[in-house]
Amino acid sequence: MSIASALGEATSGPLLAAIAALLALSTVSAIGPRGRANPPGLSLGLSAMACVGIFVLGVVTVASGIPVVASAGDVLGFAPIDVRYDSLGGLFLIALGAAGAASSVFGIGYRGHGGTVPDRTAAAYPVFVASLALVFGAADVFAFLFAWELMALSSAILVFGSRPDREVARAGYLYLALTHLATAALVVAFAILASAAGTMAFSSFGRAAADLSPEVRGLVFVLVLVGFGTKAGAIPFHVWLPRAHPVAPSHVSALMSGVMIKAGVYGIVRFGLEILGPGPQWWGLLVLAMGVASAVLGVLYALMEHDLKRLLAFHSIENIGIILIGVGVAILAFGEGATAVAGVALTAALFHTLNHALFKSVLFLAAGSIQSAVGSRDLNVLGGLARAMPVTALAFGIGAAAISGLPPLNGFASEWLTFQGLIGAGGDGSLSLVARSAVLLGVGALGLTAALAVACFVKATGMTFLALPRSPAAANAKETARSMGFAMASLAIACVGVGIAAGPVSAVIAGISGGVIGQRPVTATGPAVPVVGIDAVYAAGRLAVLLFIVAGTVWYVAVRRRQTRRAATWTCGIVPEPAFEYTATSYAKLIRLYFGSVLRPAREVTVELHPGTPFPRTIRYHGEVSHVIDERLYHPLHRTAVGAAELIRRLQSGSLQLYLGYSVVALVALLLLAR
Amino acid sequence: MIDSTSLSTVVLGLTQVMLTLLVAPLLLGVTRRVKARLQYRRGPSLIQPYRDLAKWWQKQSVESDAASPLTAAAPAIVLAAVLVATMLVPIVGQRPPLDGWGDLLVVVGLMALGRFVLALSALDAGSAFGGMGSSREVAIATLVEPALLLALTGAALAAGSTDLGAIATIGAASGVSWYTPALLLAAGAFALVAVAETGHEPVDNPDTHLELTMIHEGMLLEASGPRLAVLMYAAELKLVLVAGLLAAAFLPVGMAAELTPVTLLIAIAAALGKLTGAAVLLGLLDATFAKVRILALPGLLAIASIVAVVGLATRLWLPT
Repeated sequence: MSIASALGEATSGPLLAAIAALLALSTVSAIGPRGRANPPGLSLGLSAMACVGIFVLGVVTVASGIPVVASAGDVLGFAPIDVRYDSLGGLFLIALGAAGAASSVFGIGYRGHGGTVPDRTAAAYPVFVASLALVFGAADVFAFLFAWELMALSSAILVFGSRPDREVARAGYLYLALTHLATAALVVAFAILASAAGTMAFSSFGRAAADLSPEVRGLVFVLVLVGFGTKAGAIPFHVWLPRAHPVAPSHVSALMSGVMIKAGVYGIVRFGLEILGPGPQWWGLLVLAMGVASAVLGVLYALMEHDLKRLLAFHSIENIGIILIGVGVAILAFGEGATAVAGVALTAALFHTLNHALFKSVLFLAAGSIQSAVGSRDLNVLGGLARAMPVTALAFGIGAAAISGLPPLNGFASEWLTFQGLIGAGGDGSLSLVARSAVLLGVGALGLTAALAVACFVKATGMTFLALPRSPAAANAKETARSMGFAMASLAIACVGVGIAAGPVSAVIAGISGGVIGQRPVTATGPAVPVVGIDAVYAAGRLAVLLFIVAGTVWYVAVRRRQTRRAATWTCGIVPEPAFEYTATSYAKLIRLYFGSVLRPAREVTVELHPGTPFPRTIRYHGEVSHVIDERLYHPLHRTAVGAAELIRRLQSGSLQLYLGYSVVALVALLLLAR
Repeated sequence: MIDSTSLSTVVLGLTQVMLTLLVAPLLLGVTRRVKARLQYRRGPSLIQPYRDLAKWWQKQSVESDAASPLTAAAPAIVLAAVLVATMLVPIVGQRPPLDGWGDLLVVVGLMALGRFVLALSALDAGSAFGGMGSSREVAIATLVEPALLLALTGAALAAGSTDLGAIATIGAASGVSWYTPALLLAAGAFALVAVAETGHEPVDNPDTHLELTMIHEGMLLEASGPRLAVLMYAAELKLVLVAGLLAAAFLPVGMAAELTPVTLLIAIAAALGKLTGAAVLLGLLDATFAKVRILALPGLLAIASIVAVVGLATRLWLPT
């Protein structure tokens, strides 16, 4: 440990400087001379190197356990930018470094978005990476809000691109509006804490928060939850996410879904748990309810999508839900003094955060690779890509198995730990009966989520890669650039590696969550995932090896050594064609009907007959599901806002005399008031 | 250095692995025989499933020319998932063969892995029947899995552990006091979803070859030769797995705590009795129940979730 800490202190300063310099160079090289855009290769290459640096910084911080402290001086002109990376921030740096390096390398070859024309908005990409890195280490209010706004604006520029069409513009503005509402909530929360602490430094917020009255602390908690929950895309603040993520270039989508929404998780853990400390029962129940709603509704809406990137975006909501279930149990147990179980649940949440960064990035990158190769991300025109694009198919398949929570991959390990947190809290006699009942219902909800995720990723993987291509473009697809394959493959390998090394990795994360709640969870060592309070094991490494040996043997004996004849699929004597295959829509039909009370599917079938005969000429089918939060919450809100704006508009006649009249009235009113 | 504890673990584990691998097809024979007798038929021989496996094994595999390499890999992964999961469940001894490798959540996860790969491979040939079976399988699983986990949580809370070996050991040691109202409700919920998970009436008909009613059979429709043999064997082993899980959590009697000739014989007899009992019950269900309409399944399977939740509520809220 002492060597690591000595190494950490010696390297962190130059490392921070190198990261900053690389990202600055990357920004400059994207713009190029005289404001014209350069090809993105150089800029993205520099960004990738910076991300490797960020990864190393994260590893050094986590391994040494000693915070890295630095100051960029008074660059804003009124307040210094101070950073302090502790091991919690370091964990998020690791996620950013891994996902960012792969996304940057992927971006070099990526041609799916706007063709090969260099794009000046690409200069926002390194700024986005830098702002993310800053968010996870900002040590005071100014630094944090500066990084937070930079992150929102740079990602918004990347969403808009240089030539936004109507759909992109709408998504971009919605994103901007909601992200600023979130910032407004955070500003109020920080103002309350800062005025109580008498300083802007986060380090003194914890003590100040303890002295606040319960009502004010509750208010701060709600504001924190609204602000960070919006950035995380948790239901009911999620509406921007499935619109904004799909329209960005795929390597940006990967970073937004894989890392940026985790800034929301970071905030909830940092402020809602670490700074605000143990809270009343409703805090945990609220977060748990948000988590369950996000997980179940997120995956249900994902199942109804046939746009691959929108489907993945809804899965980000689902996974944020799983993470928030863990955070909710942690807050609940922490508030009632059960720190052991709180440690397990928080470890699960942080572990799932890291895992989601890995598998969601690989899935978004693979979706980008498909869009490059086929020119579409509509599942109903894809199909049969596994043979033409083996690297993309294998990477997507591994990512799909990981996000579905299947052993021995990383997604299973963190979902397993989340279940342990839920069952552990449910069995903990020191917790209140209300809390125990709530977390046990969470077991059912998480089980439902996991099963729905399996259904959704069988659909997404099958419709994209298996059977016959559903369009000529899919039939003629070729594997994409080497650099893209390399990026996807490294993330897929990371998913497998972290899954197999689940024991040691979760032991490290248990140390981090112990730092947050002030007590390190009791952990077992060795190859098994450590568990607190409950006697249970998951020996990921041994199981993976055994599965591989058994499957390999069976494959060798039953498939490899046996003759196989290839023949057309039997379709009752007709030549097989793609029209016989299940489509994405038909595959999800049963689930659409099973969960009809939530999804409220509507369908409309129009049959046009040949004149004078009973024979149909064309049959048109249109089906859609309703998004209950959009319709019950945002549409009324939108109508009210527009109605209010209409009322206010009546004041705006455009007549100069009237405006002068308003001024006179205002002046008289002020004089009367100030009298 | 082999001490007596690890020796008994090894012997009991090997016994269980051999026993489960050998009797899996027999259980299908038993189920079919019971069903046939209740329908006033003689029915096929008890060992017909073994003959079927041998027959398929000798044949050549035919693969769709639309298929990707997944079709070749899927049978091996499906069987490996079920096999490893079975080795995590204590059936003969009170500790499972792979003691300390994984708990009941890992078993549920491995079952999901098998389902994921099988449902994917069913789409690979591009046949409508494969898609039909696959989409039904994953949709029904969304109704089954919450109930399965809630029911097993009931047993885990009773034992204070999700480790199946611990559950079986504590359950066996508690004797009659193990069967609290909460545990019995969990057992009922588990039994209901076990029927769906193994693909029997009133959820699925394992004997059907009528295209529109198939679920599991629909997914195997494009498999042939040794690959069909592997997939069928995996399905037969899955019955052992689910019945073993049910017995370990809710009927932990007769299992060997330590190794002596007597306990071993009792344990083998108890395991065979429980597995055969499950097979007979499934045969009874197959013969006496009609298939429930697929759109009415949520109503049926929601009962399992509700019973499991009531079981958990009983454990928490009723004074003991």
